[in-house]
Amino acid sequence: MPLPRLAFALADESGQSSSSNAALASGTTLNHLEERALVQEAQAGNRLAFEELVRRYDRDVLRLALNLMKRTEDARDVYQEAFLKVYRNLHRFRFECSFYTWLYRIVTNVCLDHLRRRQARPEDQAPELHPAHYEEGTTDFFERQKEQRPSADPERHLMGQEIQKRLASAMERLSPRERVVFEMKHYQGLKLRAIGDALGTSEETVKNSLFRATRKLRSQLGELR
Amino acid sequence: MNPADWQNHCPEIAPLLVFYACGEADEKETALIEQHLSVCAACRSQLAEEKQFQALLISQPQDADLLDATGILLSQCRSELAENLDDMVRPPVLEKTPVFSAFRRWMALRPVWSGAALVFVGILAGAQATQWYAARQNASPLDLAVDVRPGPHISEDQLSKMAVAGINFMPATGAGTQNVRVQLNAEQPMELTGSMANPDVKRVVMYMVKNGDRFDPGMRLDCLDALKEAAKDSEVQDALLAAARKDPNPAVRLKALEALRDSTSDDAVREALLDTLKRDTNPGVRVEAVNLLVSSLEKSDAMREATAEYGLPAASRDNVASTSVGGDAQETSLASVVRELELLQHHDPSRYVRLRSAAALRQLSARGDQ
Repeated sequence: MPLPRLAFALADESGQSSSSNAALASGTTLNHLEERALVQEAQAGNRLAFEELVRRYDRDVLRLALNLMKRTEDARDVYQEAFLKVYRNLHRFRFECSFYTWLYRIVTNVCLDHLRRRQARPEDQAPELHPAHYEEGTTDFFERQKEQRPSADPERHLMGQEIQKRLASAMERLSPRERVVFEMKHYQGLKLRAIGDALGTSEETVKNSLFRATRKLRSQLGELR
Repeated sequence: MNPADWQNHCPEIAPLLVFYACGEADEKETALIEQHLSVCAACRSQLAEEKQFQALLISQPQDADLLDATGILLSQCRSELAENLDDMVRPPVLEKTPVFSAFRRWMALRPVWSGAALVFVGILAGAQATQWYAARQNASPLDLAVDVRPGPHISEDQLSKMAVAGINFMPATGAGTQNVRVQLNAEQPMELTGSMANPDVKRVVMYMVKNGDRFDPGMRLDCLDALKEAAKDSEVQDALLAAARKDPNPAVRLKALEALRDSTSDDAVREALLDTLKRDTNPGVRVEAVNLLVSSLEKSDAMREATAEYGLPAASRDNVASTSVGGDAQETSLASVVRELELLQHHDPSRYVRLRSAAALRQLSARGDQ
């Protein structure tokens, strides 16, 4: 529901009811703008247009950050850093590629920076995620209810836990670029060419990264299949 | 290619199966893979494993689902971003000049042409700005020197460093008192503007003329143009004499002599002209020295007296020498000139100098007969 989200954003920004009607009207209009027009509005200094752009893409950006960083604090940092960079550099965007590609170029660079920094500090490695750990109270209540249904297969459940544990461990062994490529291909569903554009590299290089990542993960998970 | 041949392509096809399984093989690869799979059970099995593996990956719950299942984190991130944006200074707004941005893009894609265009524009702008500035300076009722920065006086140290860094010298054009703008690119850039009445401008210009080996000959010629107006000044005269004697470039030496045209009655100048006659390696410079000496002697009262008394040019070199003994300074000078001219007339390697010297002696004789 874009309209309420935008209205909420306006209230956050101004905090004044006198201007919110006009702003809401413009926000409603913005919601229907084509992406190009929206970017142009944001480049002209329209904060609402920028926030609308953020809302169009930030869910995917946060997913990517969470999957890659595996820690909410790190993902939160990536989100802030990436969108603030976009905001600061928006005037440099010249429509030579799609806004989405340009945005992802920034996001992936921020992710790679964080992953490389983390790799350089072994004590700062992300903790492995164990589904059991979530079931002890840190995950959503509704998520836990699904697994407690009578139809749930305990053996399959245990196998799933083991696979997930090994997958997380195997992912940690991938290079930052391999992780980003694998994540963007299999979990974000991007084409290799788009991933190459986002990473500022060739499709061939991305193919090589995906191939290596797949091989490493398969060897790690081989015996469970 | 028959089916048996396709069976031998496993090493080429196997690595492509990863991409085929996720829809990333191109048309050519897809055709090859499908041909091969139709005959190779091993690769069909490998493809099935690849697909199974990818399905397994996708079926696993993602960290994002586990870490932000309710979307609270996303809301928090949005709120934080809004606060950060509030705290930030507004970013620069995009220039709304599509023509200019297109031009920038054009320049970025054609660096060589862009460089040439920029140099051309720079030259044009520089020429126009110089003329405009000169006109503005000339229009000023007071011909005051404007020392833009840094201090009122240039030190010797600055002068020596200036020579290392290079100097741009631009004499003003147009009517009125000539103004000079000197741009120094020494350690501390500075700009001096004014006429030769400005001590700093005069010092810099004289320094350039005296130290010919450190500056461009074209600049030195411009300096001489500027100094010509103040040739009566003893310091300027010294600088001109130094250039006439020592400058490595004959055109500069010639111009220095020309600048001294109105000072040829001065002993030091005559001495320098005689020195040029004896030592200068360039025939054109020697001829100019001859011309200047003759014109100076023509103006001299001593010349008339000497020619009346000794009957030049019939007088021989010995006669001239004998008359000079016990005479005044001008007579001595005349005798020296005649002696040098006679030497040149007979011994100068340049035919033109020999002819010109002979003509000069005739000229002096004719003046003396009157």
